[in-house]
Amino acid sequence: MKFAVLLALNFVAVIVSLTVGSAGYGVESLIAVLAGKASEVEKLVILDYRLPRLLVAMLVGASLAVSGTALQAIFRNPLAEPYILGVASGASLGAIVAVIFGLGILSRFVIAFFTSIAVIQLVLIIGSSKRFRDQSYAILLTGIAIASFLSGFNSLLIYLHSQSLHQVMFWLMGSFSNPIWEEIYFVIPIFVLCTSFLLLTSWNLNALLLGDEHARAVGLNVDRYRTQLIIASSLLTSSAVAMSGVIGFVGIIVPHTIRILLGEEHSRLLPATILFSTSFMPLVDVFARLWSGEIPIGAVTAMLGGPFFIYLLWRRL
Amino acid sequence: MILRVEGVSVKLGSAEILKNVTFHAEKGELITILGPNGSGKTTLLRTIFGILKPLKGVVYLERDSLGYLPQETADTNLKVIEIVLLGRTRDFGAIKIPKKQDYEIAIKALKEVGVEHLANRIFSELSGGEKQKVLIARLLAQQPEILLLDEPTAHLDISAQIEIMSLLKELAKNKVVIVAMHDINLALSFANKVMMMNGGEIRYAGKPSEVVSEESIREVFGIEVIVKKHGKIYVIPKTKVAQNRKWVHVICGGGSGRALIEMLGERGYRVSAGVVNVLDSDWEAIQEINGIAIEEAPFSEIGEESFRRNLEAIANANAVVLANLAIGKGNFKNLICALKSAEMGKLIVVNSTPFADRNFCGEEAERIYREILKKAIVVENEEGALDAIQKLLHR
Repeated sequence: MKFAVLLALNFVAVIVSLTVGSAGYGVESLIAVLAGKASEVEKLVILDYRLPRLLVAMLVGASLAVSGTALQAIFRNPLAEPYILGVASGASLGAIVAVIFGLGILSRFVIAFFTSIAVIQLVLIIGSSKRFRDQSYAILLTGIAIASFLSGFNSLLIYLHSQSLHQVMFWLMGSFSNPIWEEIYFVIPIFVLCTSFLLLTSWNLNALLLGDEHARAVGLNVDRYRTQLIIASSLLTSSAVAMSGVIGFVGIIVPHTIRILLGEEHSRLLPATILFSTSFMPLVDVFARLWSGEIPIGAVTAMLGGPFFIYLLWRRL
Repeated sequence: MILRVEGVSVKLGSAEILKNVTFHAEKGELITILGPNGSGKTTLLRTIFGILKPLKGVVYLERDSLGYLPQETADTNLKVIEIVLLGRTRDFGAIKIPKKQDYEIAIKALKEVGVEHLANRIFSELSGGEKQKVLIARLLAQQPEILLLDEPTAHLDISAQIEIMSLLKELAKNKVVIVAMHDINLALSFANKVMMMNGGEIRYAGKPSEVVSEESIREVFGIEVIVKKHGKIYVIPKTKVAQNRKWVHVICGGGSGRALIEMLGERGYRVSAGVVNVLDSDWEAIQEINGIAIEEAPFSEIGEESFRRNLEAIANANAVVLANLAIGKGNFKNLICALKSAEMGKLIVVNSTPFADRNFCGEEAERIYREILKKAIVVENEEGALDAIQKLLHR
């Protein structure tokens, strides 16, 4: 039942994304395209512009939401998320370096993947130090510290090197405004591979929630699985960042909304999270592009995510 | 024999955590592993379960049917039934999804620990005792023949501790249950076998009554205790380490010495009391702390023999206390003993109520008591007596 609602929501998101925009060309144009009777302009707007943009939004939303869900289980902390933990900033460091050197999506993605995985490791090493008094928040706060350092560093890099400052800044703040089919083709296999892995092993995430030793006691190879999870969530985050910059808080907003509805059990939580993110992200994008001149999507999610974050702290999830 | 551990040594880094551990377990046994922190209890359980590989030695299992409940506290918003289903993880197929039969096994496990009504509750909202029961149900859902539990009663209130241990005792009827724990008395009252570990070795193993003694506890835990056998065996810690134990004799009766005897016992003094009648509450108190009673038959007058032995004890004791006791014809000789002690310069008198109110022996006793007060240290209550004893002994 709840899954049916999510599917319906996806349908709505697809229709709205394909029919709403500053250029006009609403539902009639979409029908015309589907019937094969559309004009050149209608085809251009709907198929070459809005459709890839919808797909990018879906891919990025799902990648970030799934990555957030996995990170929350790895760190056993409901507030863990690619943006907050610095994984996204790590990825964007790599992506910015690639952009500065004028490299394409492949290199952007590969470098972003390695910098993001390096950041996760750094957060893990520093954050799990026995010196910190509050172990449960040490990792999170370490992530926040590293994330703010990196975002400052990233801004500096852009300032020093960028000829087209505005464009890169816009990308960094997160945007779906320039969808490229090649990028979509490139990211889809990564996305399918990582999410299938996570969906197939989602039961293990439940075991991780109890703690490493409990997970071992029920027969999970904790160290191997954790490594696999870190790789998968880094791949997902860096492919999202390489496509559309840093979009924060999606990894918190989406999985926690689903948790409230469906509970914690991951073999239900994870597919529902994917389905919600693939409608949530395009709808947020539609909202962002309704404004004249278009506002960065990262700004919208940050404004939604901040209060949500406090709400989670409040509920002591 | 369902489990046999032979010559197992385990190293973590360069430190040898287990040294040549050997023991075996039979069906129906509840074995408790006792030992201080860092003695190797957890390492032993993890090695039996297979998380750690022994450097030397072997763990033989009749069947690979082990369940392990770690000490780590767990907290999550999963539902209780989902936690219990985690116990089925190893039995899932390629796609890890619980099947109908897994649900049946999980519900049965919850019933076995008596919390099936909690099945749909959120785990993090349960009490400590309920959580531990749910985790034990998770363990049972693995359908193990050997249950390994690491400190399952830590952080629980006393009633939950007893509930959990009773539950484990019940489970041990047709399984092997091995429990690592700190609480010696809790362990002793439920276990049919005890293993005492220290420094990675099993120092003592056997039935509680064979293994637990003041010496073995001192060796393993480094603490001084008094071991009692009241049907079941239990230990009482001494708050003070009694290296050269000082002897305090208490002249009492009718319950007047009870509080003081207990306080002296707790502080590690060697305590004697007399002359007291058998079954008098002072007599019981001295039994409880394993002291020496100079005793007389119930409800009888103090005889020559016990009078003589009392004087003997007084002569040997480092300090003597005259409790706030009532004097009648039957125990008049105790007053004489007190006078003798006062003359030896080692008497402390607890004088909380006027002697006239507790004197049933007339003028003569009154006169002796006044004489005693002149030569003794007089205090108002038991705490005062303890202070005075300490001062007297360190003079």
